[in-house]
Amino acid sequence: MQPQMTRVSMDALKDLPTPVRRRVDAADVWVPEGYEVEPVVAGLSFPCALCFDEDGTLFFAEGGSTWPTRPYMTPRIWRMAPGRAPEVFAVEDLGGPRGMAVRGGYLYVSLKGGYNMRVTRHDLRTRERIVLVDGIPSGGWHEPGGPIFGPHDGMMYFGQGSVGLQGVVVPEGFTVDLAKHPHAHDVPGQDVTLTGNTVWARDPRLPFPYYAETGPFQPFGTPVTRGQVVKGELKCNSAVWRSRPDGSELELLAWGIRNPFGLAFGEDGHLYATDNDFEEKGERSIGEDPDRIWRIKNARVPPGEVKEPEWFGYPDLCGDGLPVWHDLHRPIRGKAAEPFLENPPPWAGPAVFLFPPHTALGKLTFSRSDAFGFRGHAFVCQFGTYAPLNTNREAALGRGFQVVRCDIAAGAGEPFLRNRAPGPASGTPGSGGIERPVDCAFSPDGKSLYVLDFGNNTANRSYVVAYAHTGVIWRVTRR
Amino acid sequence: MDGIEAADPEGPGPAAIEGPYLLNLHGETWDAHLDRAARWLAHVITAQTAFRNALEIAVPKVEEPNIRQFLSEILDRARRHEEVAHRLPRTIGREAAEGTRGLAGVVMDVARRALDAVEGLAGGARGNWKDLHHLLMLNLDAMGAFAIAEQLGLALAHHELRDLAFDVEAEKSTDQLILKELMLEMAAVSILYGERV
Repeated sequence: MQPQMTRVSMDALKDLPTPVRRRVDAADVWVPEGYEVEPVVAGLSFPCALCFDEDGTLFFAEGGSTWPTRPYMTPRIWRMAPGRAPEVFAVEDLGGPRGMAVRGGYLYVSLKGGYNMRVTRHDLRTRERIVLVDGIPSGGWHEPGGPIFGPHDGMMYFGQGSVGLQGVVVPEGFTVDLAKHPHAHDVPGQDVTLTGNTVWARDPRLPFPYYAETGPFQPFGTPVTRGQVVKGELKCNSAVWRSRPDGSELELLAWGIRNPFGLAFGEDGHLYATDNDFEEKGERSIGEDPDRIWRIKNARVPPGEVKEPEWFGYPDLCGDGLPVWHDLHRPIRGKAAEPFLENPPPWAGPAVFLFPPHTALGKLTFSRSDAFGFRGHAFVCQFGTYAPLNTNREAALGRGFQVVRCDIAAGAGEPFLRNRAPGPASGTPGSGGIERPVDCAFSPDGKSLYVLDFGNNTANRSYVVAYAHTGVIWRVTRR
Repeated sequence: MDGIEAADPEGPGPAAIEGPYLLNLHGETWDAHLDRAARWLAHVITAQTAFRNALEIAVPKVEEPNIRQFLSEILDRARRHEEVAHRLPRTIGREAAEGTRGLAGVVMDVARRALDAVEGLAGGARGNWKDLHHLLMLNLDAMGAFAIAEQLGLALAHHELRDLAFDVEAEKSTDQLILKELMLEMAAVSILYGERV
């Protein structure tokens, strides 16, 4: 059955057939004085990415199998040319699109994949699709980042988050991708020597929940020993790379980034990556780890000349640089963490920006336009907490669910787009506001910020569910 | 747009908006989704009815008092789950298709024949132990049907459908563990000694 994209009135968005999102109404959304917000597209299923071509064409992608992985919905990439209705440009594979960029007549797409993350390229004219990069270890908890293109070198930059939720594969992972990829595991970007510490957990794969021991950088149920060396690989994860636009000359810039989902170059020419905090539950529980933005300094090194990848702390350091077993990160639920790395590389921090734990950073973009204002500032999607699932601290319950404007140089940030009532729209009966901002991009004229709203993704104490047909694209314009 | 030069204030603007776009949510399309979902929900009734029927046949034959109690409790839940199955179509404004109960017997027979084919008429086991294996298959089928109903609830952004289906799926998952335990516990004496359950 072909998808039906229909132009409707704004009033039609206030009476939708989807019970978990009956209304989409900009009146319930707050933006600063002098700006206005409006919905552009509604009814998307698990959208994860949007981007613009230079001619003003908007591309946006539905994610396929996302957070959690069920239900899968078709991972469509839509193209919306100026003045025209959206059309399906391409359909991707099961673990669908997570990031997109347009350059030189091609659309570049990062895909979560199965056991391997991929970067594909679609010819905008012929729609021919080729795989540029493959074999990046995926299949677990975290996501690809990018692709984006370096303004200084024309190279393609992209990332892939960790498989492990907590620096190691734990049973929680089997509620997401690990149920499909039971052999997935993290791979380091440099040789590491292990302490021999492991976690013990019940094994969800077996007829009975027998006890199983798992070490870092191993599939679930595989222990490690003290002094064991795990070889670093170019195709690791929790990492950021660059390559030529055709995928060749792959170069590892950084690893140890738990979830580098958002990548963007600032006007200062630096590469920035968002990253998500550890969770406070389970067998390696870590409390009060801040969300953060990293500056990846190796992106300024000429291509091919990176001597050592930078290491940003995963699996042993929090966003503030403190060890995961530090008293400040002692959990109030779950088993406290122990060190995994005997010989950690030098830490590449500090972060350029720290956020409260469990704001759940999505992607970010930078204003390059005086017409929109706040030139040089980062606009950061805060997807919003999964508390009380990933922490049982009451303070975390309402965090995120907004786009924050950050002056990184000044270390200052404040909400730019949020609901008038705190939290997601689904937390306020009758609200037609935003649910979970996941990506944002400026139109080529720099006058509008488009914000992609993933839709209803509700967590409770035990699990999280995602509802299809509830994703929205919002547009913020300066009056 | 990250990674390109500063925006040109005179450059092309975004797509012209004359009212927003709506994907797959307008009347006819959505009604078609609901109709297709309702057909599956009818199958949920069939699968659950087959399981409940099989339990009603199996329980009176059970001689071991503990197992009889376990199965009786599962039967009580199965009756309740069947009532929920009938509610599912109504949550999305549809009625269950006629004839779902009549199909339940067919489902039971198919499952039994499949089991016999797979096991070579139960591989030498005698007595009513085979009933446990049959119940295991029928519950798995019904549990899967509810699980798919849950997925339809998520796909249709319908929390009531999702929640009702999930609650049953969770209870049936526990029942499946009980049935599996009983079947495995009693397998050896059934196969080696021909004992009845």
